[in-house]
Amino acid sequence: MMFVDEEEPPNLVDVTHPSASAVANPITSRLQDISLAKVPLTIVTGYLGAGKTTLVNYILKEQHGKKIAVILNEFGDSADVEKALTVTQDGQETQEWLELANGCICCSIKDSGVNAIESLMSRRGTFDYILLETSGLADPGNLAPLFWVDDGLGSTIYLDGIVTLVDAKNILLSLDEMPVEGKGDAEHEGMHMTTAHLQISHADVIVINKCDSVTPEQLGTIEKRIAGINGLAKIHRTQYSQVPKLESFLLDLHAYDGVESLDAMSKGHSHLDPTISTIALPLPPLTPRQLSSLESWLRSVLWESILPVVPIPGHDSESESAFAIHRLKGRIFTTTDTVKMIQGVREVFEIVDLDRGRSDGKGMESKEEGKLVLIGRGLDEDAFGRSLRARLGAA
Amino acid sequence: MAEVVTGAKNCIGVGCPKDAGALQCPTCLKLGKESSFCSQDCFKRSWSEHKSVHKSGSIALHNPFPTFPYTGPLRPIYPLSERRTVPESIPHPNYAKTEGGNPNYKFAARNSITCLDKKQQAGMRKVCRMAREVLDVAARELKPGVTTDYIDEVVHKECIKRDSYPSPLNYSGFPKSVCTSLNEVICHGIPDQRMIREGDIINLDVTLYHGGFHGDLNETYYIGEKALKDRESVRVVETARECLEEAIKLVKPGMAFKDPGTVIEKHAKSKGCGVIRTYCGHGINSLFHCAPNIPHYDKNKAVGIAKPGMTFTIEPMISLGSFRDKTWPDDWTSVTLDGSRTAQFEHTLLVTEDGVEVLTARLADSPGGPVEMPPELKADGEGAANGASDK
Repeated sequence: MMFVDEEEPPNLVDVTHPSASAVANPITSRLQDISLAKVPLTIVTGYLGAGKTTLVNYILKEQHGKKIAVILNEFGDSADVEKALTVTQDGQETQEWLELANGCICCSIKDSGVNAIESLMSRRGTFDYILLETSGLADPGNLAPLFWVDDGLGSTIYLDGIVTLVDAKNILLSLDEMPVEGKGDAEHEGMHMTTAHLQISHADVIVINKCDSVTPEQLGTIEKRIAGINGLAKIHRTQYSQVPKLESFLLDLHAYDGVESLDAMSKGHSHLDPTISTIALPLPPLTPRQLSSLESWLRSVLWESILPVVPIPGHDSESESAFAIHRLKGRIFTTTDTVKMIQGVREVFEIVDLDRGRSDGKGMESKEEGKLVLIGRGLDEDAFGRSLRARLGAA
Repeated sequence: MAEVVTGAKNCIGVGCPKDAGALQCPTCLKLGKESSFCSQDCFKRSWSEHKSVHKSGSIALHNPFPTFPYTGPLRPIYPLSERRTVPESIPHPNYAKTEGGNPNYKFAARNSITCLDKKQQAGMRKVCRMAREVLDVAARELKPGVTTDYIDEVVHKECIKRDSYPSPLNYSGFPKSVCTSLNEVICHGIPDQRMIREGDIINLDVTLYHGGFHGDLNETYYIGEKALKDRESVRVVETARECLEEAIKLVKPGMAFKDPGTVIEKHAKSKGCGVIRTYCGHGINSLFHCAPNIPHYDKNKAVGIAKPGMTFTIEPMISLGSFRDKTWPDDWTSVTLDGSRTAQFEHTLLVTEDGVEVLTARLADSPGGPVEMPPELKADGEGAANGASDK
């Protein structure tokens, strides 16, 4: 049927490919590899009823000129279902379907959710901001590594930070309740840790909502308890999920590419929560050898869950206490006059150069001390400090 | 310029020695074939012979996604052959019969990596050696005129001969028993009716499942003198080969899984090549893919340290141009975004007490292997079309 006229040869057709001109042009190729402006993604967590949806709606209203995508529920956990995503701009909502490729998930390095968002943006135009609203029982520590994409991957999205909402009326109860059966992995078994702990310990910002429902004294207690768990996060008190300003309060935090708030720890802290706490370890200016010692210490602590033990005469040299690191931040000054930043969530961490070095002429900075801040379960500040000092001293 | 990377096509006119330009037979195009001629006159002279091509096979060959914006000259040529079967007597992996080939691997923590005992290591050694044999048999069949589907048939039969299941078959729904990735295809190419041509480069990625373990390797091969004389093809293939060799030199107990990427990207850059980011090396044992992930690019945050008894692959994918990839609508075939050529090599490795054992190492008579960079041709005719832009 297709072979109508086989007697006479038809005219040849010219198939010069439009993209062919780009093929061997290294400049074009390089340009394609330079990623354009990246879109921030903020994870919003909190118990059911804490006010996540109210907060998201508040953000959409306040940022009405922007094109904001809202993704609901636990995204990284299921690769098999299609997921809906709502894009809002100027009060107009549109639903989009994220196409989660069923390709080789295991050997593809990017999370399929990240891929799906990227491909949607390349088809339908980029967003200004992405909000990921998790389910009430989500452990943000499982989600964060998925969206903390390697720089080398040149992704068009980046993890800006984690915002956790807590309900002032219920949060203390939530922290003291027994962990939900079957929830949480073996790592957490036997420890008195709730989803509320996980949502607070991984947070970069904690919004205490419904403050009008408790007394000022109660509010003070709540705030202390939360700060005892997570000494790094900024804490805001609100009613009706409204915060005075969004930028750098909730959005555009750059929680994973800067270390602004380490000094919050210097005002002292207490172990008000029996389970999770924040500890700060001072770091002297490090030599290149000490820097690699620090890295190997972190590998042991984060990857093997082993605190390198310092033998003390007359003591058992075994460290038997179980611990787990949820979040990690640090600033390192080196003897070669550079500043580096440490970022980590769960077992994933990186040490990178900090852009704003001492070149900005601030004499204050050079007096500032390096510091490593750890948030997690079973952290003994003395033992960790000893272990780290010994490792650095041995270098 | 375009032809520098894609390789000049020969005019397929009868007895014509010239290169073809962008002129193609429209009937073949409709059939999803590519028949390039140097001129209408030459096409006219060849017509009585050429038109028989249109009739071969009762089911017309076709491009299943005619509207897809392909990034380079390669097209899928369907129909795919019938699904091949594996005798029931051969143990199947769990995904062989599940819906969509979902392996249902449990989410394992990034830092929980299996260390195999001596007996399990022997199992890995055996399946990897067989995978090497199957790859070598298939590679010997590579020549102009055979289809990638024929290579699939060879691989499938050789697996069965060795009482092994071809691991790719139905893995997450993959329809064939081997991945055949030509020219601009980075990986996961599906064997179809495309004929292998003089001047192509092709990667064969073979994995066997035997005795409860998977063994995984791949190599890229040159098709004919034309490919061996194309400096750009040699540059990308040899760079990929060297990147894998450099990375393997690092492997010993204590190596961090983030380190190979640094070495691979550095070497690729020194040869003016890019590193594909999307796909990474992976743990392999009783599971086809598991922890650890081993990225091939610098500045990654991979978790974990190599310990004796761990088995994993390193499999750098190197491109002449962009490192960005695009996937065909078949949901598998991954190609470079700019259509430039790309090459890959892979071994399955075992961490030993003091170093590494390459479980899928080449044998004395393995086909392929490194080649020298061909001399630059002077700019007279063919030279202008080949490698003129080499720096």
